[in-house]
Amino acid sequence: MRLAAILMAAAGMLGAQPLKLNLEHLASKASDSVDITLNGSTLQFAAKFLNSGDPDEAKVKKLIMGIDGITIRNFEFKKDGEWSAADAESVRTQLKGPDWSRMVGYKSESDGDAEVYIRTVNQKIAGVAILATSPREFTVVHISGTIDLDSLADLTGHFGMPKIKDGRKSSKM
Amino acid sequence: MTALGTTERVAFDFEGLVRAHQSMVFSLAYHFLHDREAAEEVAQEVFLALHRNLARIQSPEHAGFWLRKVAVQRAIDEGRRRRRRPVVALESVAEPSVKATTRDPLLGEVLRRLIATLAEGPRAVMILRYQEDLDPAEIADILEMPLGTVKSHLQRSLSLLREKLERRGLGEI
Amino acid sequence: MDRLEEELKKALAREAPSDGFAERVAARAASAEKRVAVFPLPRWSMAVAATVLLGVGGGLAYREHRGEVAKEQVMQAMRITAVKLNHIQAHVREVRQ
Repeated sequence: MRLAAILMAAAGMLGAQPLKLNLEHLASKASDSVDITLNGSTLQFAAKFLNSGDPDEAKVKKLIMGIDGITIRNFEFKKDGEWSAADAESVRTQLKGPDWSRMVGYKSESDGDAEVYIRTVNQKIAGVAILATSPREFTVVHISGTIDLDSLADLTGHFGMPKIKDGRKSSKM
Repeated sequence: MTALGTTERVAFDFEGLVRAHQSMVFSLAYHFLHDREAAEEVAQEVFLALHRNLARIQSPEHAGFWLRKVAVQRAIDEGRRRRRRPVVALESVAEPSVKATTRDPLLGEVLRRLIATLAEGPRAVMILRYQEDLDPAEIADILEMPLGTVKSHLQRSLSLLREKLERRGLGEI
Repeated sequence: MDRLEEELKKALAREAPSDGFAERVAARAASAEKRVAVFPLPRWSMAVAATVLLGVGGGLAYREHRGEVAKEQVMQAMRITAVKLNHIQAHVREVRQ
């Protein structure tokens, strides 16, 4: 099942519900970190400066039109063990409300762990959250608002990344 | 120069970084695109991006990692903009009058052309493996690709190359 | 490493770009620096500079700057999201296969 199919397309913005993330203590241990919080008005302002002639920027411009908030916390560490299970659990606790449901989750020794959550209100998607961890990286992504989830999943294939193709496994390259 | 803590920075010598890494960056682009002119343009853009982001570089090792990552991303972007994959132009390489040996001087060019015809993901993986001598975990880091996918690309690409070389009478390797 | 891999290493050995490459890059970098040296002031004084600019009708330039900063943040946020989704999709597909 494509990720986009799992994440159903929807409409309806019911107000931003920012996650309360207490992860500042990880920043001091990180070798590199990204901390982005964008509200609706900043997103709409930024959209004016996105170039419709650039494929990546055009995609993003279309995607953010109905979004009212984006939060990114990304930490990279030089050694294992800098983040704890409690850090991950503090994020999951935010995603256990009645509106949230976990759509995808896996644990992998080689690829790290990842979970994708969807928030639905009145049967419409109002938020997506991703918690992705590996021994030396900790990432939380939260997007709230009207999300075109086909477009969100279709981001793979942009930003210089190979697109994950549908269809059967091919032996030809 | 030694690695610094997150609160310390030195002004890295930009021109020194260019001299130290120009062959690496150019070659990543050239082996990906199989076009020297395009590769030079991509390499210049990569270093200009480095210039804009110099304050983020934390150590010489970080500079190398950053340059590899951005060089591959930009090469992939450029490859897509050109919207073509090089044809496996083995026909344009003269048929050896005798069965080729492992010391065939044309073999290198044949291999480079074959690499340039691989799909983006496997191509990037092969170039990072054999040009930069990186192990699969390092490649997964740079390409932000699952480790399992990297290993799979390596295995399949080698198998494909052997098959194509065999057909051309270069199968002794 | 087998023979094919040894040959691949030779075939994909690093090559130098054309002569003068480093000089051309340095020249372009210097030229780019001149173009963006509109606000040589430290960041804390941006608010003061913005007020003055607005007062003399220069609000447009400062708005442009804020827009570019916001745009870069959006693109970075989307890039990180795309990377994580890419990982997840790839893993899900591998497991299915």
